[in-house]
Amino acid sequence: MSSEIPDPTDDATPCAYTEYNEGKAVPDLPATGEDAEGLEAAVWDALYEIEDPEMPISIVDLGLIYGVDVTDEVATVDMTLTYSGCPARDMLLDEVEERVEAVDGVDGTHLRLVWSPEWSLEMVTDQGREDLTEFGLAV
Amino acid sequence: MSAGEVLDPDDLDERERTALEHLCKRLGDDEFVLAERYTEWQVRSPSLESDLALSNIAQDELGHARLWYDVLDDVGLDEEELVYERDPDTFRHSTLVEQPFPEGDWADAILRSYLYDVAEKLRLEALEESTHPKIADRVGKIQGEEEYHLEHAQNWLERLADGEEGTARLQDALDRLFPHALTLFEPTDPDVEDDIVELGLRTATLQDMGEEWLSIVLPFLESLDLTVPEGGLAEADGYAVTGEMLPAVRGRDGSHGEAWDELFEDLTNTYRELERDRPTKIMEKPE
Repeated sequence: MSSEIPDPTDDATPCAYTEYNEGKAVPDLPATGEDAEGLEAAVWDALYEIEDPEMPISIVDLGLIYGVDVTDEVATVDMTLTYSGCPARDMLLDEVEERVEAVDGVDGTHLRLVWSPEWSLEMVTDQGREDLTEFGLAV
Repeated sequence: MSAGEVLDPDDLDERERTALEHLCKRLGDDEFVLAERYTEWQVRSPSLESDLALSNIAQDELGHARLWYDVLDDVGLDEEELVYERDPDTFRHSTLVEQPFPEGDWADAILRSYLYDVAEKLRLEALEESTHPKIADRVGKIQGEEEYHLEHAQNWLERLADGEEGTARLQDALDRLFPHALTLFEPTDPDVEDDIVELGLRTATLQDMGEEWLSIVLPFLESLDLTVPEGGLAEADGYAVTGEMLPAVRGRDGSHGEAWDELFEDLTNTYRELERDRPTKIMEKPE
């Protein structure tokens, strides 16, 4: 078992601060549904309409949606959250279910919250970066 | 179950369900109860920065508690049943996390965090290759959010140990907390614990993790000129933990101290008063 406990003999920084590191790029992510057709494309469109509760950016451009599948009219959406302690979790998940359910032709939604691969800034689309920059965030 | 196999969360037999329930409860309950205790420091920490840091750590731990509790949704347990409607004598957290803080004793909060976070780091590593896909899926996310917890605790320990008063307070906290920290590595039930490892839900035994934990915390605490409580067997090669070193109640088996009854009463008070039958959401569903 390897452990990387910080070496206590290193000089401690009294006021360490958090650095927001860029994550590793993950193949196939961010997913944007650009090749989706039919009902799946309609579900992606509905997801694009949903904004992050704190910032004016679509949850798709933020990189929260990992995949959409519609089989026999049931939509399965894989999504993640930026932070495990997200206080808006229920609100956001409810909204996703509701909007997807409302898509014409969808009869049933299966929302799967996934945590791997971990969300990172690498998951934000170019459009998302523009939106965040416009909002005043350096990304 | 052999290495590389993956459990199907929708098709667990009785033994697998029980092992999963015990494992996720010991993980989730630790995080939940520790977070409850940390929040007592909100607006009371020694500085604004430390206040924000510990509050944020508490929020992280609440998020992680939820991730572990969520896994139990597959065996039919929801958040109300796991927290608000639960018999307090069925919680499986270590007694380390339920201890009340002596008033204003920041050294206790910091030392507790250190003892806990080293253990958490080791147990997350032992879950990376879990045969339960949802457990394995969560580990990276939690590890990413945990990194700074240990750094925060160590930085503070070094500063506190730099002066006489701080060292004395740390020593008091260590004498008080160390026996409770040992319960982090106690089984919820010895047979179920064997199953947890045999089924590959976790890949290391409690004993392995406990030994690794000692090999990290003992030299570090000694480097701060703190005296770690003596090992149990004088003739043993290295540091031995014996039953006598542990507190009378072990936490993991459902036995807890009075402090837990009070804390549980406290944290469910609003829920009961308002006759809630489910946790409050921040907002109603949008129209």
